[in-house]
Amino acid sequence: MDGPDIGWYLIVAAMLFGIGALGVMLRRSPLIVLLSLEIMLNASNLTLIAFARQRGDLTGQVFALAVMAVAAAEVAIGLGLIVAMARRRLVLDVDQASALRG
Amino acid sequence: MVVGAWICLLAPLAGALGITLAGQRISRRTAGWISTLSTLVAFGGALVALFGLWAADPSDREQVSTAYTWLAAGDFEVEVQILLDTLSSTMMLVVSGVGGLIVWYSMGYMAGDDEERRYFAYMSLFVFSMLLLVEAGNFLLLLVGWGLVGLASYLLIGFWHHRPEAVAAAKKAFVMNAIGDATFALACVLLIWETGTLEFSGVFVGVDSLSSTPVNLVALGLLGGAIAKSAQIPLHTWLPDAMEGPTPVSALIHAATMVTAGVYLLVRAHPIFEAAPDIQHLAAILGAATLLVAGAIALVQWDIKRVIAYSTMSQIGYMFLAAGIGAYGYAIFHLMTHAFFKALLFMSAGLVIHHLGGEQDIRRMGGLKDVMPRTHVAFLVGILALVGIPPFAGFWSKDGIIASALATGGALGYTLYVAALVGALFTGAYAFRLYYTVFRGSQSKYAAEHAHEGHGEGPRSMLVPVGILTVLSTIGGLVVIPGVWHPLTEWIGETAEALVDPTVAEDYETSALAVALGLVGLFLARRAFQAGRQLVTSPVIWRVLEHKLYFDELYDALFYRPAVAVSAALRRNVEEPVIERSLDEIGSGTIQVGGEVARVQSGLLRTYAVAIALAVCVLVVVFVAVR
Repeated sequence: MDGPDIGWYLIVAAMLFGIGALGVMLRRSPLIVLLSLEIMLNASNLTLIAFARQRGDLTGQVFALAVMAVAAAEVAIGLGLIVAMARRRLVLDVDQASALRG
Repeated sequence: MVVGAWICLLAPLAGALGITLAGQRISRRTAGWISTLSTLVAFGGALVALFGLWAADPSDREQVSTAYTWLAAGDFEVEVQILLDTLSSTMMLVVSGVGGLIVWYSMGYMAGDDEERRYFAYMSLFVFSMLLLVEAGNFLLLLVGWGLVGLASYLLIGFWHHRPEAVAAAKKAFVMNAIGDATFALACVLLIWETGTLEFSGVFVGVDSLSSTPVNLVALGLLGGAIAKSAQIPLHTWLPDAMEGPTPVSALIHAATMVTAGVYLLVRAHPIFEAAPDIQHLAAILGAATLLVAGAIALVQWDIKRVIAYSTMSQIGYMFLAAGIGAYGYAIFHLMTHAFFKALLFMSAGLVIHHLGGEQDIRRMGGLKDVMPRTHVAFLVGILALVGIPPFAGFWSKDGIIASALATGGALGYTLYVAALVGALFTGAYAFRLYYTVFRGSQSKYAAEHAHEGHGEGPRSMLVPVGILTVLSTIGGLVVIPGVWHPLTEWIGETAEALVDPTVAEDYETSALAVALGLVGLFLARRAFQAGRQLVTSPVIWRVLEHKLYFDELYDALFYRPAVAVSAALRRNVEEPVIERSLDEIGSGTIQVGGEVARVQSGLLRTYAVAIALAVCVLVVVFVAVR
């Protein structure tokens, strides 16, 4: 098989996932949090496709397509929420949106 | 003739259902007529059955008629069946005949009561239950009738449900009877176990081949039922209290029919009792004890109905005595004459009570002879029949029983004989004490005030049944005359052959003694009355008798108080600390845990994300480690 070894793909994916996760955990702006989520999803997509190539099996690729559709839907809803927050002139800070505290 | 028996059984049931379903669409009077007529139809059916049986060949005088199979479990079957034989046909006649007269009388006595329809529905239900009891062809159906008469008596004793004493009396009667019902039911279970059937003929054949222990247990269970229903010592305490019910109820249930069910059971199940002679003798001994105790207590009671109630217990004691020594014919004969004269006594007492506006205390009566001449005659006839003065009804039957005790002989026979004779003395004393206090002497102030309220001695519907019973109490005993003829005892003997047969000489000797003792009682009562003092002069004895030999207090101390103490202790030590407080603690504990857990839910999105990430890490580590 051409191209680099599967390990490299996985390392890139893990790094992407780590960056995304840190972004979700550390950043307070909802836009950046959404962006980081996308990065995490794409990291998993990369893993899926890498394994699909290695095994010569199309299932992983189909799965990646499904993940993309879900990610698109999620971004649409997430951005909609952010727009709604901005319209009501709320502060764009996820730490401030804590009305569900028990 | 079997058709007659079925009509006899079903007519009162139809009456009860009709009155209940018609509700307010019929007038109170109509309800009374429906009840009376349905009972009289039952009497007609009983007559048809009796004469049919009479005309039949003697070998054909035991007819079983089955309607359908009620229960079937493997080989064991119980059918809805009636048994028509000489014993049940006689009982049917007494129950429906005397019952019909009493229901008729009720129409006058209860006139104007708010809930007459309910009353007559209950009366019809009672007559039906009693007929079911005497006609049943197996023990289970007998038990059904047995339970139903208990229910009807509960309903009727507590009929005036706005009076707390009546409600308490009804409960007492029910509970005491339930004890007997339970032992009866246990006996039935044992019979199924041992003989595999409950049908009379099958059981009586099967009982011969059993060993003595099960037979004794079965007999003991049946005896328990009989003493509870018939108010014999030691389950007798409910009967005097049951006088809280309307007077015709006292006459019907607590004199003429229901309380004699125990005697019927002893005679019906005589093969079982003959197989367990010890238990049979126990029945006789309990009967003798009851007749003495009840007779003595009756000497000091002030309530006119309670005196008659104790007299009832005493007379049923005679019947138990007779059934216990195997004089079945005389037991049923006395049951019949007792139904006549005791119903008569209750009903004429009812006339007195009705006349005096509900007063039952004999200290407030007196001198009613001139005001109520016809009632006086009826009451006097009842008293004479009760004491056993010839030729009134009680003479022939009671003396037959006492003579049978003599004929039994042995220590037991002679003891019973003496007890029965002493009982005759008591009977004479309390009966004439009652008679003198109520009817003789000068009129009391209370009686004079109420004497002229202008309704005469009572409406015709009350006087006619009393008249009929007066005639029956006078001549009803003539069906058995020792040495001349005894068709009734022979008739019963076809079903339950007597174990003893007193000779004519024994009969007349006994009669002379018993009548003499009755007259001594009369004389004592008369002298005490004229001297203006009581029959019992010793204050100690008086107090003991007034407290009914402390039976109520004894049961209170033995059963009621311990039960209350146990319940209170359980409440204090289990209910309150464990059950009630634990509920509180479960609630407050939940709230507390919830408060702690709620702090985790901070509402901060990023903390959740960190938590999820950490959890995933932990899971990954765990998965890897476990592999």
